[in-house]
Amino acid sequence: MWAYDFMRNALMSGLIIASICAIVSVFIILRRSAFAAHALGHMSITGAAGAGLCGISAFSGQLYLNILAAIVIGIMSDKVKKNDLAVGVVLTFVLGLGVYFLFLFQNNYAGGVMSILFGNIFAVSHQQLKQLIGLASIILVTLGIVLRPLWFSSLDPIVARSKNIPLRSLSIIFLLIIAITVSMACQIVGALLVFVLLIIPGAIALQWGQSLGTIMLISFFSANCAVIGALVIAYYANLPASFCITMLLCGGYFIGVVKNYLQSI
Amino acid sequence: MIVCNDLVLGYNTPITPKFNLTIEDNQWIGIIGKNGVGKSTFLKTILGNLTPVSGSLTILNQVPGASNRQISYIPQEREINLSDYMSGISLIMSSYQGWKWGLPWHNSKLNQQVLELIDLVGASSYANQPFNTLSGGQKKRIYLAQALINQPRLLLLDEPLADLDPHAKQHFIQSLQKIQQSRELGVLIISHDMHEIAEHLDAFIHFTTSGVHFCQTIECVKEDSYVGI
Repeated sequence: MWAYDFMRNALMSGLIIASICAIVSVFIILRRSAFAAHALGHMSITGAAGAGLCGISAFSGQLYLNILAAIVIGIMSDKVKKNDLAVGVVLTFVLGLGVYFLFLFQNNYAGGVMSILFGNIFAVSHQQLKQLIGLASIILVTLGIVLRPLWFSSLDPIVARSKNIPLRSLSIIFLLIIAITVSMACQIVGALLVFVLLIIPGAIALQWGQSLGTIMLISFFSANCAVIGALVIAYYANLPASFCITMLLCGGYFIGVVKNYLQSI
Repeated sequence: MIVCNDLVLGYNTPITPKFNLTIEDNQWIGIIGKNGVGKSTFLKTILGNLTPVSGSLTILNQVPGASNRQISYIPQEREINLSDYMSGISLIMSSYQGWKWGLPWHNSKLNQQVLELIDLVGASSYANQPFNTLSGGQKKRIYLAQALINQPRLLLLDEPLADLDPHAKQHFIQSLQKIQQSRELGVLIISHDMHEIAEHLDAFIHFTTSGVHFCQTIECVKEDSYVGI
């Protein structure tokens, strides 16, 4: 199956996106930013629909809109306490715009919107793969710079603030990382299922790991194993890849739930 | 170490009257006063989180906020986001120079330092256990080790004995005693249980609505019946 160009592209793009999501998902859970990640996924639809107004690709449209929304949410949010209100206000505004864009372009851009909604890992082109590598490099370099204060401020924001860590700037940087990650992940699982890659690998890792290193490793392996497994199953069983990724990751999570239950009795 | 000149504390509007204070290096100071007279506001102003309404304040010869990396703060209310399996050691490790950019590399020297601190505060038997399963008193001793990991010159404690049962309070005070004997650092401690720790303190600051007074003994605040002495 790896002889096919589209399968190799799918594997490469899947591994890149899974690796980034694995790291980001741990912080999304610890920083309780799940609603922001969920909202940015939904805003992707507006970005894809609005791309028609500017004559750009659906992917670029969702990327730019997500980045803009992340900055606005970051500025509106409180420094220490995560502010779901800011996310909710921006989400409803952007979704309202999305409805209008879909009304304007319902015939011309339905394909672009559908691809963002449901994703298609087998349709990733060489050009898109290069874009994904570029975006993944930006995220990795940024995380390499901010990881230490991000980790500290995620675990203990009040004390981190007392050490002069710039919480608002870190929060905006992290929202930008989520925005770019969401845009990447929509390529393979779609906006409707983007949550699975942004939450479940981290959730699995936090069920087993005690330290930053082990948590990151478990998250990395669960996300990448799920993507590889899903590609193989999707190819041979002719099933949607996003469905297979979701089932494998959720299965991994439920193993942890059972383990916790058995430990508690 | 801390010099207040005609200082007035508050949130834009004054909470305290104008006061002057000088606190020397390595002194252990108890801060006493009724609710709402400006005790926690004083600590927040030292950290630079609040601007004085008027007057000037220097901490470690610098303006508030500038020397925060030499100050450790244990707030009254915490927001700790550890998962169910992360231990107190993870929290302490994350705090080690947590303000520096880059990746958090941990070496054997740091591990040794953390183990020594855990031993100092008497948390060796449970520091590796999941943090969320610890009792309030055990968590507070982990916070103490966390506060010491960056070898601060000044430690700010806001109501560390609140919500602890007598047994846990005694353990916490023993940990403070050990720190006092083994390290050179200044401490400002706000407490409503000052009578329990008074013997370990060098002096007291009494916040009232009429003034802020520096006292060498706790006797000078006896008239404030809530102190409980």
